[in-house]
Amino acid sequence: MAGKVNASASGEDSPTSRPSTTFVPVSRVQVFEPHRASLPPIGAYMREFWARKRFSLELARFADKAEYLDSNLGKVWLVLNPLLLAFVYFLLVTVLRGGSDKASGFTTLAHILIGLFTFYFAQNVISDGAQSITQGGRLILNQAFPRTLLPLSSAIRSFWQYLPTIPVYVTVVILGKIFIPKADIHIFSWALLWIPYVTLCLAVTAFGMALIFATMNVYFRDTSKLLSYTTRIWLYGSPVLWLPEMLHGWHRIILYLNPLGPALSATSEIWIRGHAPTLAQLIGLLAWAIVAMFFGGYFFISRERDFAVRI
Amino acid sequence: MLIDMPDDLAVRIEDLSITYKINVDTKKTLKNAVMRASKGEKVRMRTVEAVKHMNLDIPHGSVLGIVGANGAGKSTLMRSIAGILPPSEGRITVNGKISTLLALGVGFNPALSGRDNIILGGLASGLTKDEIADKTDEIARFADLPDGFIDMPVRTYSSGMYGRVAFAVAVAMTPDILLLDEALSAGDAAFKEKSFLRMRELVQEARTIVIVSHALQTVKDLCTHAIWMHKGEILAKGEAGAITEKYLEFLQVGTLPSNLEDF
Repeated sequence: MAGKVNASASGEDSPTSRPSTTFVPVSRVQVFEPHRASLPPIGAYMREFWARKRFSLELARFADKAEYLDSNLGKVWLVLNPLLLAFVYFLLVTVLRGGSDKASGFTTLAHILIGLFTFYFAQNVISDGAQSITQGGRLILNQAFPRTLLPLSSAIRSFWQYLPTIPVYVTVVILGKIFIPKADIHIFSWALLWIPYVTLCLAVTAFGMALIFATMNVYFRDTSKLLSYTTRIWLYGSPVLWLPEMLHGWHRIILYLNPLGPALSATSEIWIRGHAPTLAQLIGLLAWAIVAMFFGGYFFISRERDFAVRI
Repeated sequence: MLIDMPDDLAVRIEDLSITYKINVDTKKTLKNAVMRASKGEKVRMRTVEAVKHMNLDIPHGSVLGIVGANGAGKSTLMRSIAGILPPSEGRITVNGKISTLLALGVGFNPALSGRDNIILGGLASGLTKDEIADKTDEIARFADLPDGFIDMPVRTYSSGMYGRVAFAVAVAMTPDILLLDEALSAGDAAFKEKSFLRMRELVQEARTIVIVSHALQTVKDLCTHAIWMHKGEILAKGEAGAITEKYLEFLQVGTLPSNLEDF
């Protein structure tokens, strides 16, 4: 490694002249070179990403802590909000349908409930992730680290917020089954073993989309505002307020064109019917996760360099 | 991978150019972009050539001051050494652990305590939680925080406290290379003296410091060498005193005492 110091530029008494000091061993050498096709060396990038994953975790933990610092009821709202919304939508849907018998009404409520909880998980990953770069300004200007860690932190936090909604759903359904034994809901079944796969694919899909919107938000600051309307329309277009089986024939393609469609259909299939997801749903889940991660990852990482000058 | 780098160098900059594009529209919104597109106009962009074909070697144990007018490319150069802004052309080789203070403030979240912010800052820079936890009290002491303030929300800090903590964090990470941007203006005279002492200690341990400062007296007092940057290029480099004199001449302000004062 050692070699001769090259006097690099003109000028007397250049900074290259060496002071007399004791050298300490230094741990690492880093080389920064222009990115090829706008992408940093992916291997090194992934290693850094993995090495600093703890930062994402702690950032999520501290963001939670900061938000609920002055409010004991804060976290309760995380569950209460979708619960009340589910009730509002349930009323809306049953009124629009002109009422129905108790059992099928309760099944609809359960479908809306688990659908909304799942949808909100994906929505939070996307919308919080979308703002993570523009809100991380000082951090981005001060330190070099893979910027994907910031939306990852939002995704982790959204997952933590999603977790308590599952026992809420289970409690509501158990209570419902006690009062309406005819309700056609298979709450505990072997199909539940598919939930980790479905949730992972959904999380990766949402994270990939968060990367796209986070990048757009750096360039166009109204992206996150627009996103709040987009996700609302997205909700109406997803099988949350309506059942996947309402679509027949080629119309079912709508379920698969929607990045969250396979996940939401599979969730309803598992939680309500107690069936394992269909092959089409499993493939759809994986396909959207790969597509979103690939395009989102490329879009984000290839523009990461710009963040420091555009924040 | 073999890296051609003399091991007495902390930083080697070879033919470095940094350009980037910025949106010069006042409204950086999607709505604006769509409106412009509907009129057949494009979003107005400007290409900034912040650093142009620069070569520079910085040996271990040196203190390099960077002077120059606003827009000379000083901050961009610092960010590229830190790896925040990769080069457009050329190469930067950095031999050692870097700590930065390029934007003032420890932090992230004003609602969180100083301790929490310090932990997050340390994790972002690649330290482990234990490594940082050991240092937080030392940081509080160095930053002269009143008792208990380290566990108070950062929003309750005065701007002086804020700046002192930021500096304390940067030096506490025992960096091989410390990059400071205008940080010295934080804190009062006593803290400035303390920070000078700490920086001199770092240099004694053969650590390297690069400082961007408009406070020419600081550059003169603290730096062994300096470069004068102008429009992305090095106009002059050499002994710190000589360079600051040249820079002052260029500014055509002579040696008026007020211009030699630190901010």
